[in-house]
Amino acid sequence: MALLEVKNLGITFGGLHAVDGFSMSIEKGELYGLIGPNGAGKTTCFNLLTGVYKPTMGTIYLDGENITGKSTIDINKAGIARTFQNIRLFSNLSVIDNVKAGLTNNYRYSTATGVFRLPKFFKTEKLMNEKAHELLKVFGLDEESSTMAANLPYGKQRKLEIARALATDPKLLLLDEPAAGMNPNETAELMNTIRFVRDEFDMTVLLIEHDMSLVSGICERLSVLNFGQLLCQGKTSDVLSDPEVITAYLGE
Amino acid sequence: MKGQIDLKRKISPATRGSFITYGMVTAAFIVTQILVSTGRVSNMFQGLLVPFCVYSIAAVSLNLTVGILGELSLGQAGFMCVGAYTGAIFSLMTKDAITSAWVRFPLALLIGGLAAAIFGVLIGIPVLRLRGDYLAIVTLAFGEIIKNVFAALYIGTDSRGVHVSLTSQGDLGLEPDGKMIINGALGISGAPKDSTFVIGFVVLLLTLIVMYNFINSRTGRAVMSIRDNRIAAESIGLNITKYKLITFGLTAFLGGVAGSLFSHNLAVLQASKFDYNLSILILVFVVLGGIGSMRGSVIAAVVLTLLPEVLRSINNYRMLIYSVVLIVMMIFTSNATIRGFFAANFAKLKGVIIKNKPDTAKEGV
Ligand SMILES: Nc1ncnc2c1ncn2[C@@H]1O[C@H](COP(=O)(O)OP(=O)(O)OP(=O)(O)O)[C@@H](O)[C@H]1O
Ligand SMILES: [Mg+2]
Repeated sequence: MALLEVKNLGITFGGLHAVDGFSMSIEKGELYGLIGPNGAGKTTCFNLLTGVYKPTMGTIYLDGENITGKSTIDINKAGIARTFQNIRLFSNLSVIDNVKAGLTNNYRYSTATGVFRLPKFFKTEKLMNEKAHELLKVFGLDEESSTMAANLPYGKQRKLEIARALATDPKLLLLDEPAAGMNPNETAELMNTIRFVRDEFDMTVLLIEHDMSLVSGICERLSVLNFGQLLCQGKTSDVLSDPEVITAYLGE
Repeated sequence: MKGQIDLKRKISPATRGSFITYGMVTAAFIVTQILVSTGRVSNMFQGLLVPFCVYSIAAVSLNLTVGILGELSLGQAGFMCVGAYTGAIFSLMTKDAITSAWVRFPLALLIGGLAAAIFGVLIGIPVLRLRGDYLAIVTLAFGEIIKNVFAALYIGTDSRGVHVSLTSQGDLGLEPDGKMIINGALGISGAPKDSTFVIGFVVLLLTLIVMYNFINSRTGRAVMSIRDNRIAAESIGLNITKYKLITFGLTAFLGGVAGSLFSHNLAVLQASKFDYNLSILILVFVVLGGIGSMRGSVIAAVVLTLLPEVLRSINNYRMLIYSVVLIVMMIFTSNATIRGFFAANFAKLKGVIIKNKPDTAKEGV
């Protein structure tokens, strides 16, 4: 059974079919790419998968569980975490606190325990710090753990968003243009990191990306969206040589 | 034990900041106590000692909602009013049963806080689900309603029990030996004057400890995440409504405690004291002290409570000086550029004095 099973998904904004009858199935452990020209509906698709928008049609199954129409919070608890195309960090919190915020639901102690500094507070915080540092190390951010997130350079902000998403211990990780604004060196490094995350954390990754070197470098399969509809789907090399895909990208 | 070792190994900036505040408040308390006991303090100043604590607690707790949660509340006076009345009523009714103020007063503070927290949660449940400025509107209305209800409330007791009326004293039909507890707009008189500077200081210190511990905990982090980016907070599964309610409830609780501390410092407690102006005054303390800065709230509350009294002797220029101080404080606390400018020059100055190269001094920016 596939980890993510999307069937006939769609949403309309006032007459605009932003996503229109999109279907896709992702296996556990896959590195999957969602590509398409600007305005094709890729980010909207992420917003549907994570409950930011409620779909007007279609169903979403995660690991056999129907998550269609659930709230963003419940969908995260069910196992989907994401990053945002326009970075959304907790900008006044330190780098490590951004990650620890992601650990909130999996490392618990009550508000009273925190306020009265009971032993469980110290024990849990220690575990949280260890876990957060472990995640930051993966992204080369552990030196900057006490920097305020807003003061990080752009590329590192993108990485911190991934670390925060991973902190929620998801089954499926959605990355919206993770390499945007990065130079070729940073992009190459990011590709390694994404592969590492998939291997070490047993993660399934769905990513949106315009950078074709990244897409062809790490994605095993692709779906191509165009005007909200599925244009093409399959193995990366096949999809990228498809004439229809080439015209969609070069056309207009 | 483990925790203490942890703290010693690496003291975080947050921990250091909180201990500076505790130290500052404690030092101010000790100096004041010495001055008072050596008779160097005017009556006017002595009369302000408990209000300093009351306003500081009210401001610090409001700062939790305004600075940490990022929601505007204009009803702090309402929560203080609830706390003031329930605390005073409790003390009046148990004055004979519990003779020790050391037992009775902490209970009165707690009960005042709990009553206010109940109102806070009741308001918060419908309102905090909404986005936008609804909380400001609803808390503003709440404050005014509470004030007016208490101003119209008559409660008395006699051998037949407790009588309540919203119209007049006569309406209660008390027996001749009955006792008035709340007398409408005339309020409550005869509640024991249990508030002292020592207790006020202890409660303020406890409030600060609760505040800092709350902020530097799992819950506080979640609350600040919600403040910084609601959509991202949802995407990592944070229950927005729950965290908002906890925070707002704590603000209301401590507002109620401040109110109860206040009412036990007055000969006569009247609801009219808890009007819109008081809410705004507390908000001014928070804004001028620096949104999100607990230490700033305490400083602003004390300075701005003291200032009008000190300036009474030069009555003509009083408001002029008061407004200049407000503006200067605002510039210092809320403008990052100017704050940076002063910090840089201060660091340079320090560099000159201790004969350091100005380059290293720049790090102070
Ligand atoms: N909340 C909304 N209300 C109305 N229209 C929307 C909304 N969100 C997205 N759209 C529209 O839906 C279409 C798809 O947008 P989307 O952001 O999903 O594109 P995208 O594929 O992510 O593009 P890009 O590569 O530029 O990020 C666009 O025409 C956009 O204007
Ligand atoms: Mg997009």
